[in-house]
Amino acid sequence: MKKLFLLLALAGVTQLSAAADVAGDANAAKNKVAMCIGCHGIAGYKATYPEVYRVPMLGGQSEKYIAAALNAYKKGERNHPSMVGIAKGLSDQDIADISAYYAQQK
Amino acid sequence: MKKMISLLAVLLAGVSLHAVAGDAEAGKAAAAKYNCASCHGADYNSPVDPSYPKLAGQHADYIEHALKAYQRGGSATNGRGNAIMGGMAKPLSKQDISDIAAYLSSLPGTLVVRK
Repeated sequence: MKKLFLLLALAGVTQLSAAADVAGDANAAKNKVAMCIGCHGIAGYKATYPEVYRVPMLGGQSEKYIAAALNAYKKGERNHPSMVGIAKGLSDQDIADISAYYAQQK
Repeated sequence: MKKMISLLAVLLAGVSLHAVAGDAEAGKAAAAKYNCASCHGADYNSPVDPSYPKLAGQHADYIEHALKAYQRGGSATNGRGNAIMGGMAKPLSKQDISDIAAYLSSLPGTLVVRK
């Protein structure tokens, strides 16, 4: 019985760490970046609402930073209207895959 | 005609006042003063933690937007809430922000735009 508890506890720990650190697959992102490239795939593309500026270059950016930024939009720590709308539709796996995809670009 | 010219002059002056032009040299000094490199890396392309962004070569107008968004904070419209960057952005003047953005965007970096 004790062993069973230990096993369950260990399983719980594994699950937690998996949720916090989902491995990204750049190939899997190819079907997920359609929403991104309409702005971030066009050189010099400008966001026009609520401020006008060129949207950030994502290719070659740190993988963990891209994930952190998307999670910040998803959780509401960043309030940019269009990015909040997009990030709320992404799962943890989507975010990991998209981050891996942009980070490996050169 | 004279009225037209003075009207144009007023309009042009208004436009140039509105946009604070960034000075990369002044930005280099401001970035050093505010210790940006202590997290974003000495070359601004190798952040000390992988969850921090590379900034070298990033668009100046985007960097300006990001810094202003951190000043507005997480509960403001189009703001950003971040414990570290909120504190870092707070003391910056509009001129500091434009200068730092001009400096960072002028640096050689590895960021690209791809589909």
